[in-house]
Amino acid sequence: MSLFSLGLVRAIVGQILGMLTGMATTMLIRVMLGLPAWAAEPSWTVGAIFSIIGALWAVGALSDWAKWMKGEETPMHHGPPEGKPAWTRYFGVDYNHKVIGVQYTVWGIFLLLVGGTMALIFRTELAESGRQFLSLELYNNFIGMHGFIMIFAILLGIGGMANYLVPLMLGAEDMAFPRLNALGFWFNVPGSLLLLSSLFIGGWDAGWTAYPPLSARGPIGYQLFFLGVFAVGLSSIVGSLNLLVTILQMRPKGMSLFKMPIFCWAVFATSLIQLTATQLIGLSFLMVSTQRALGMGFFDPGLPGATLMTGLGDPILFQHLFWFYSHPAVYIFILPGLGIISELLPVFSRKPLFGYKWIALSSLAIAIVGFLVWGHHMFVSGYAPVLRYAFMYSSLLVAVPTGVKFFSWLGTLWGGKLTFETPMLFVLGAISVFLIGGLSGPILGTVPSDLPLHDTYFVVGHFHATMFGGFVFPFFAALYFWFPKVTGRMYNETLGKIHFAIMTPAFWVQTLGQMGVGVMGMRRRIADYDPTLGGGSIEAWQLSITIAGFLIGFGVLLMLWNFFQSAEVGVLAGDNPWRSRSPEWQIPSPIPEHSFASPMVVHGEPYDYGLPEPYVAFAAAGDD
Amino acid sequence: MQNNTRHFAAIGVLVVIFTFVVFWILDAVLKFPLAASTQAGPIDSLIQGHLWIIAFLFSLVVVIAIYSLFLFRRREGDTEEGQYIHGNTTLEILWTALPMVVVIAFGYWSTVVLVDITQRPDNEIIVNAEGYQWGWNFSLPNSDAVTQELVLPVDTPIRMDLTSKDVLHNFWVPEFRVKQDIVPGRTTYLRFTPTIEGEYRLICSELCGLNHTGMIAPVRVVSQDEFAAFWNQDVQTASSK
Ligand code: HEM
Ligand SMILES: [Cu+2]
Ligand SMILES: [Cu+2]
Repeated sequence: MSLFSLGLVRAIVGQILGMLTGMATTMLIRVMLGLPAWAAEPSWTVGAIFSIIGALWAVGALSDWAKWMKGEETPMHHGPPEGKPAWTRYFGVDYNHKVIGVQYTVWGIFLLLVGGTMALIFRTELAESGRQFLSLELYNNFIGMHGFIMIFAILLGIGGMANYLVPLMLGAEDMAFPRLNALGFWFNVPGSLLLLSSLFIGGWDAGWTAYPPLSARGPIGYQLFFLGVFAVGLSSIVGSLNLLVTILQMRPKGMSLFKMPIFCWAVFATSLIQLTATQLIGLSFLMVSTQRALGMGFFDPGLPGATLMTGLGDPILFQHLFWFYSHPAVYIFILPGLGIISELLPVFSRKPLFGYKWIALSSLAIAIVGFLVWGHHMFVSGYAPVLRYAFMYSSLLVAVPTGVKFFSWLGTLWGGKLTFETPMLFVLGAISVFLIGGLSGPILGTVPSDLPLHDTYFVVGHFHATMFGGFVFPFFAALYFWFPKVTGRMYNETLGKIHFAIMTPAFWVQTLGQMGVGVMGMRRRIADYDPTLGGGSIEAWQLSITIAGFLIGFGVLLMLWNFFQSAEVGVLAGDNPWRSRSPEWQIPSPIPEHSFASPMVVHGEPYDYGLPEPYVAFAAAGDD
Repeated sequence: MQNNTRHFAAIGVLVVIFTFVVFWILDAVLKFPLAASTQAGPIDSLIQGHLWIIAFLFSLVVVIAIYSLFLFRRREGDTEEGQYIHGNTTLEILWTALPMVVVIAFGYWSTVVLVDITQRPDNEIIVNAEGYQWGWNFSLPNSDAVTQELVLPVDTPIRMDLTSKDVLHNFWVPEFRVKQDIVPGRTTYLRFTPTIEGEYRLICSELCGLNHTGMIAPVRVVSQDEFAAFWNQDVQTASSK
């Protein structure tokens, strides 16, 4: 078997060739215009655009459409590729949503490890005051890179959960548009490789928010970063479109929207945001990109050194466009995780989900109100003072539907028969962590109290708690919970519990520590801090945060080792080890190529634990 | 039901105790610097208010959760399912409406504070600060002198007029609490009244490139006489060097 039969290898080679083609094209055009052939900025930019197309082309994510244009038929291929080992399908274009779900998840975990490694590097630098080993330049690159790699990782993680689970929960054969689904995943590969490779051509130093004018001046790495985000954004858009259509169109008979498993509601709300907001971050980065490459001065205030069209732009406009996506984006990150919490609590409580409709609608409410609050990131930006009041009230409103979820979870626990396997532990950990994340929001949402906290480590503590509670902990819960469904084998319970016992307290120390040093007066995004802050107690906190970070990293490695081991030697899990009522647990583990041998019929409610009647049943073969 | 009443009473007591414990922890971990402006007072009170609510809500959720974990854990040999409860509309409305009231109350409180701390006093003096990569220049409106140290008179309302030579910066003295971005191409404003003489540090709080970390300037709050003397003499000599 040649290496080139692996799609991933072809994608990388295609990306490099695309990059070279793009550069050559640019040089050709420049020569024809009578300019010097080589100019770094346009060459890398056009190269990056071509590199995305090159990767998609080479891996074969576009080939069915190309064939359609030529009028050729492309029958849907099922099962592993012919003449190759079965595992190779995970490295190439495959239309089965279960394969794509695994691809998303694995690529997401890969990025989680890369982003985590960067965090540990700069945490080591911060462990004590004074500058140790990181140059200022590398430090600034790493913080921004860490941020955006993690955002990619989260988007991939939720893509993995949604693509794997939603069709199964709806009893659907696959997603509505399998080819689009594969394309959606493969956008992420050139996207994240562009982002990572930007480090090697100077990087970018303005943090993940990339505010101009700084981002309009820095190294060329910005262009690769912007286009990487563009590619991943396209993935979000086509992926969410696919999920929305699947949820609206592919439900079985008898499954009204309010009878879906609650995770589908979370994905629905998330997808609505992704479909409508992602364009704005693409737009804002594209505008900076063209300001840099073509001199379009969108955000250029007209200072000495500016070249074309000076003085027509406004740096604050960028912040509006950026946060119009990036605030709703934080709800993209957490809604699926909150859905996982709501999904798993009934299983381990043996009790119906408390207030199903309220939880479902609170996701929608969060999604909608989330569009009205972007200005809370800009309280001190210098925009019109009256906006501070408006965004303050809208931000405070978000706390209400978030509260509904917490109380409903408590209602689900109350009166249950609780057991504490690893997924349940991570769900409980998620609730505790998300609680402190959410509670630290309103203090940032009221302007006077935000003034001392804005752009300090307090904000860093706030959003790490929301992301860990809203994504990382639930994602890990989901990995443990569905591992037996995906592999057919059980993970090692003891190792899972050890992972939980290490990670939860460590995270608590990290997030409280970050909030603490922020209040003492430590700004965000600095490579060194004043050791006298907090009466000198800051040093101890910094060291604790770094140690906690390493413990979290160790916990994650332990989990991965557990999974690798258990996939080989774990005990056979059976079809439904959790005695769940959800459709995916009523079919064999691992799930066969065609998930459902016969059509699914909906009988009852998804979470009616305690009632004998099942949620779904399958028409016996030959039956109608 | 009888049973539940007993549990709710226990939970109530625990929540109260926990609230105080959590507040005490928050208070110990979140150590604000000295409050050295008139703006700091109302801001710090608002923050204290937030911390009490945080402590209460945190305790409420965590106590009920942990209590349930003990009370409703599956006992050895028990094979029954949990209680068949689907929800409770009264409760849902209650826990939508009550938080709504609380956040609106906080919105109102914050509005009052914000109006107060941004209000324009009669006798304010204007000081210019210009940020650049990576340092600060300070001046008074009717003077050519420029310094790299920010000297301010105590107990006098100040309006900082903030400009940037290049990229975004931010004006922040932690002891004064308030901060404001500095945007190239326009002037932004920040009002505060220093109340305690002493030495502080002005730190840029908006990432501005390579040496953002080091974009710090000394701040000295002095008596009004000293302030006048400084701008009449010290600076002249400093800038004529
Ligand atoms: C209870 C509701 C919440 C409120 C009122 C709230 C409010 C805020 C405010 C005002 C800021 C800006 C702070 C500043 O820069 O001065 C902020 C930052 C942030 N919040 Fe929240 N938040 C809430 C919940 C969440 C949730 C659920 C997430 C989800 C992950 C989240 C993620 C973030 C992130 C990522 C930032 C930092 C962005 C940056 O500057 O890099 N927040 N939050
Ligand atoms: Cu936000
Ligand atoms: Cu700065």
